[in-house]
Amino acid sequence: MTILTENQRYFEDVRVGNELTPLTRGPITSSHLMRWSAAIENWHRVHYDAPFAQEHEQLPDLLVNGTWKQHFLVQMVRRWLGDEGWLASIDFSFRKMDRRGDLLTATGLVTDVYTRDGLGFVAADIGIWNPREENSTPGTALGVLPLRAGSAVPYPFPDADHARTQATSP
Amino acid sequence: MTHVTDEVRSLIGLEGPVTTAAYPLGHDEVRRFVQAAMEEGVIHLDREAANRRGFKDVVATPLFPVHYLRRPSGSPDPFERFAEDPEWDGLEYESAFGGLPPIRLSLRRILNGGVRAEFFKLAEIGDVISSQSTYLDISERTGSRGDMVLVEIETSYTNQDGELLMRVRNTIIMR
Repeated sequence: MTILTENQRYFEDVRVGNELTPLTRGPITSSHLMRWSAAIENWHRVHYDAPFAQEHEQLPDLLVNGTWKQHFLVQMVRRWLGDEGWLASIDFSFRKMDRRGDLLTATGLVTDVYTRDGLGFVAADIGIWNPREENSTPGTALGVLPLRAGSAVPYPFPDADHARTQATSP
Repeated sequence: MTHVTDEVRSLIGLEGPVTTAAYPLGHDEVRRFVQAAMEEGVIHLDREAANRRGFKDVVATPLFPVHYLRRPSGSPDPFERFAEDPEWDGLEYESAFGGLPPIRLSLRRILNGGVRAEFFKLAEIGDVISSQSTYLDISERTGSRGDMVLVEIETSYTNQDGELLMRVRNTIIMR
């Protein structure tokens, strides 16, 4: 891939404790939720039928889809990694409810940096914060950045598990 | 109370069938998905920008394959269930199990506990995506809210050339 971003982040630029640039979405309206549910054909009424959510399911309001929140986290990390970086893995758990009307902010904090096989790896704690100051979706991400004097991050990105399996096979 | 009986436990390690999309990935599907996801990355929106970055067309986002499975025309429409049961909550229980035989317990609620995803390649326009799921683990615990069963399902997503796009481990909570 061609380098187009003038301010591409390089591994050498990153330190433990650095913040990933936060990304904000919202306030999330019922229209956003309806559009997402329709796009993925998810008919669970807690995301678009307020009387059902509140009266039948005893929820405070319509819920923001977990299926959407996972993309939001991916967007925040990839934006920070830039065109030449690669999001190798991400994990998170759905701990708290985010609701209609919430302004949501995805954040990240670098927890580890290391090189392996000529690539720069950056580990980060990530999460989605709502107006109730809850981290609804805490997790971690592992990104790969190019080294200034190194080669480009390979694409497709190699499957380390597969490589390990191959290496240990008789 | 034991929810994870020997019969349920015997599912651990079970590999489900390979499921393949009814249609190749199309421009309109990617556009609608990208807009609904509020994704701003230009390689997902603009063909020329995608070209400049070495892709032949716009590409899907890394996690897109989890939503790839669309029903072919003429297949039964789950939405019809609203006509039979206006009180239906709209949750397609079976869809949580990724094509594996669904686990049925006395625990009524099913929640998405969390996700671990590893990314290798982005799905491209024209790709025919397949997936295969495996029950990695089924366990139970008793917490402050009562009994819960944790189901770990791993799913691999590939394209028509057998290239691995993504591997996802999903934790389902039943309680």
